[in-house]
Amino acid sequence: MKLALLPIRSDFDGFAQLTQLHAQVRDVRFETLELDMSGATWFDANMCAPFGAILYKTSRSLNTVKLENLTPDVKSILSKNGFLMNYGVAKSADVYKTTIEYKRFEAKDERYFAAYIEQHLVGKGMPKMSIGLQKKFRESIFEILSNAVIHAETKLGIFACGQHFPKGGRLDFSIADLGIGMKENIKKKRGLDLTPEAAIKWATEGNNTTKTGNIPGGLGLKLLRDFVTLNKGRIQIVSDAGYWELARGAVTTKRFEQPFPGTVVNLEIKTADRQSYCLQSEKNLDNIF
Amino acid sequence: MSNGIVIIKVFEVVGSKLCVASSDGQKVHDQIAAALNAGKDVRLSFSNVESLTSAFLNAAIGQLYAEFSEQKIRGSLSVADMTTDDVELLKRVVEAAKQYFKNPNQVKKIVGENLGG
Repeated sequence: MKLALLPIRSDFDGFAQLTQLHAQVRDVRFETLELDMSGATWFDANMCAPFGAILYKTSRSLNTVKLENLTPDVKSILSKNGFLMNYGVAKSADVYKTTIEYKRFEAKDERYFAAYIEQHLVGKGMPKMSIGLQKKFRESIFEILSNAVIHAETKLGIFACGQHFPKGGRLDFSIADLGIGMKENIKKKRGLDLTPEAAIKWATEGNNTTKTGNIPGGLGLKLLRDFVTLNKGRIQIVSDAGYWELARGAVTTKRFEQPFPGTVVNLEIKTADRQSYCLQSEKNLDNIF
Repeated sequence: MSNGIVIIKVFEVVGSKLCVASSDGQKVHDQIAAALNAGKDVRLSFSNVESLTSAFLNAAIGQLYAEFSEQKIRGSLSVADMTTDDVELLKRVVEAAKQYFKNPNQVKKIVGENLGG
């Protein structure tokens, strides 16, 4: 089976291509997928997370995946972050230390994931973010991961990848899962039959939660949204056929023709942000409870 | 043996400065709940904790509101060694937990789940 990709950017069109790719390979078994990458003249490194999720799912259906005709630039990006190790290409040195390695985690690997984030955000040429911003960024990533672990019901794992752009003062990070998606989860747990994009909107607002046990929920994505709004960064969430984006304080939603087989959260952070994220020594520990 | 406050060090219970996983929060919750059930006052120390998530705090503290009255929690639980932004996060978690357990549909579902419904 031969398929081809065009440039993949962290935007609606980039995701649309990946959802189309998934639709084409979804029901395929015992095939060799030859993916012609010659038209993919650009590949945003963080998009390795959703791309890798789809290819992993394809491989788990006992197909062989081959990435062919990679352009030199894209090959360099995808071998530096370790993505191509899954497809027979050795990892190359990340001289400028700007990549956050592509990794697949099991849902139970939360501590391993935490160590991975620590390893890649401390030192090593990563952006010189203020201490408060770095803490918020790290916690935001953990909130996304917790969300995937708690809600996705994924047996195929969680995929992460990131890239720092020192000149642009930007850090992109993506987490993808191959779970049931927000629309299905909300329908199953809350009985609400929402459109895919309305389901994402529901999950990112207020105290909405699909949690029903003794442990409350409903804050993770709201906290993420608050932080990114303050940072003037960007969040994109893709779940099922829904696309939701928060940029410059405004939310836009769209719908894909084909669904993504899970949920992806892309986080874009402005690393030069010098705002105080209120790490102060004054403590007010009264009236918490 | 003292009848005073039981100090629970979150770092020690979790074994890490990264208190982010719901499963780790559960361990802290179990310690707090055991002490409260024994009629003890608890001081929860966040000394050396660097990262917290709502998922961790929901498991560690939020779910206490399913088991103990607000009055009991307010009277017996205190926190120490927490940065202001972590206090703010905890306040949001606590407020959300109170709302969560006020929702009759939520309670109905919890009861239903506990009864295997």
